[in-house]
Amino acid sequence: MDLPVYIVVGISNGTLYALMALGLVLLYKTQNFVPFVNGEFFTAGAFAALTVFKVFALPYWAAICVAVLCGAAIGFICERAVIRPLANSHHLSLVMATVGASILLQGVARIHWGDDIYSIPPIMSGMSVDLGGVPIALQNLIIVVAAVVLMAALYVFFSFTRIGKQVKAVSQSLVGAQIIGINPNRVYRTTWMLSGAIGAMAGVLAAPFTLLYPDMGSEILMKGFAAAILGGLTSIPGALVGGLIIGISEMLIGGYINTVFIKISAFVIIMLVLLVKPQGLFGTNTIGRV
Amino acid sequence: MKIILLGAAYVAIGVALTCVVLFADPYTQYVMNLVLSSIVVAIGLNIVLGFAGLLSFAHSAFMGIGAYATAILMARLQLPYVLALPLAGLVSATVGVCVGLPAVRVRGLYLALVTIACLYFFSWVFVHWDTVTNGSNGMSVPTPAFAGIPLESDEQKFYLLLPIAALMLWLAAVLMKSRLGRSFVMVRDAELAAQTCGINVMTTRALAFGISAFYAGVGGGMFAMSVSFIDPHSFGMLQMVTQFGMVLIGGISSLAGSLIGATLLTILPEFLREFRGAEEILYGFLMIVFIIFMPDGIAGFLRRRGWIGATDLGGRAKRVRPGRSGGDPSVPAQSRLAAEMKKWVAK
Repeated sequence: MDLPVYIVVGISNGTLYALMALGLVLLYKTQNFVPFVNGEFFTAGAFAALTVFKVFALPYWAAICVAVLCGAAIGFICERAVIRPLANSHHLSLVMATVGASILLQGVARIHWGDDIYSIPPIMSGMSVDLGGVPIALQNLIIVVAAVVLMAALYVFFSFTRIGKQVKAVSQSLVGAQIIGINPNRVYRTTWMLSGAIGAMAGVLAAPFTLLYPDMGSEILMKGFAAAILGGLTSIPGALVGGLIIGISEMLIGGYINTVFIKISAFVIIMLVLLVKPQGLFGTNTIGRV
Repeated sequence: MKIILLGAAYVAIGVALTCVVLFADPYTQYVMNLVLSSIVVAIGLNIVLGFAGLLSFAHSAFMGIGAYATAILMARLQLPYVLALPLAGLVSATVGVCVGLPAVRVRGLYLALVTIACLYFFSWVFVHWDTVTNGSNGMSVPTPAFAGIPLESDEQKFYLLLPIAALMLWLAAVLMKSRLGRSFVMVRDAELAAQTCGINVMTTRALAFGISAFYAGVGGGMFAMSVSFIDPHSFGMLQMVTQFGMVLIGGISSLAGSLIGATLLTILPEFLREFRGAEEILYGFLMIVFIIFMPDGIAGFLRRRGWIGATDLGGRAKRVRPGRSGGDPSVPAQSRLAAEMKKWVAK
């Protein structure tokens, strides 16, 4: 009886993880390092939604728009201020710089919001759809629908727009892309803004479910890492499948074994995947660099 | 002229230290104890991050393991502090090797992800293994005794911690000049060349992990003694970022750098207690600024000015660049050879 409910909630959570993983995979594919700042995009999205609701009392769609813009802006600033000066340095420097950026943004959030915990009232409280005897909360449905729309938009972006194709070209071969006149800085800027927007989107979608506090991003970032690694870090469909697997397995572990294990299941998955099959389920590239 | 200035600077530092030790109020004394423990932890992180070039995010967890192990060994088994501390270091080193052994298979970014997963995993263990760690309530550390004298005041503790920190620093300096220490650097700079020189890359990496985890564990034990009360929150993300800040700001691949960085980043936050978020903003800002503008940290700056010896094994920023013949004199011959061979292999 509980199983369908777990799976539905798992899919909805998994979609959020998949969005985080998507942001990470985008950046990994173009710049070949894993950023640690994406959790802050998520936080930014959630707090932007909080501000829109509490201060301006605007509807939900406005919150989504503001959050996405806000995430893109933070992504832009990160790229310009932190990543651009280091674009040609070793990937360890880049990773450490993003750790610095992440903690800096957490501190900035703490100035205004302090250590308190906030919450956003659910948009569609109590409303649920009955799907073959399984009640689905409307908010869960919104998450999945919004994510699907976002992914369709991304697909169109990468397949049909000029800049989207340029991003793909850079991720395939930086030198080749430069030879045919693509400006990599422009591509990096685009991917960072996209990544920020996707992270903020996940944040605003998750905000009614989770509590809001300045370091809320780090937990979902780890889930995003787990999803991305499970999918192989270079594969966008992999990130989606990875997110869904993690979301569902986490609910099943919580439901049938013990809820205390929900928190660490992602870390255990990261460790297991990297030790047993480091290229993940859909990864293509070899991981060794000599 | 320079030598006179340098001598004056060292004398000034000595005088300042003496004044602090002689006339410090208990609070300053407490901060000094924290500085000593941070120095040991920062050396540990620097060994793996700077000298061995492996990105490890798990060091605050290793520090936590050391701190908990010290407290548990003293409270449950009634061991004396001077025995519990190295044992705690060994426990932490064992965990470090266990993490490091499989982790040397996955390198670079993947290692970063494995270790950050470890950090979260151990943070969870500290909270949820209540029967041993007392969960998020934290546990108090028994009063250490030396030769039958209980060390209750911070001043008394200082005189036990100071020689331990000095010993650990000396050991690290010896280690980094030894065959093993140089092989860390060579594996970092030119893995292939190191293999052709007969260095076992896997063992060397695992050893680097183990030794640095030992340092983190001992540092954690020293931290436990300084604060007398430990809880899981002391060994989480902020601790990890602080340690990274210490190594990066002080100077990566430089023991003097760890000393400077640990001192600065332990004392600075004490002035920022009142401002919300200021600590995090400061760490984040300094880390970014140093990575971009001064990648070899304060120690690198001092070394370029000739104010400290060039014996440290050049950091990532000082790697031999192609096209510069002869290389950097501060890079040891072995690693210069490695760079040459690497160039040759690339041809």
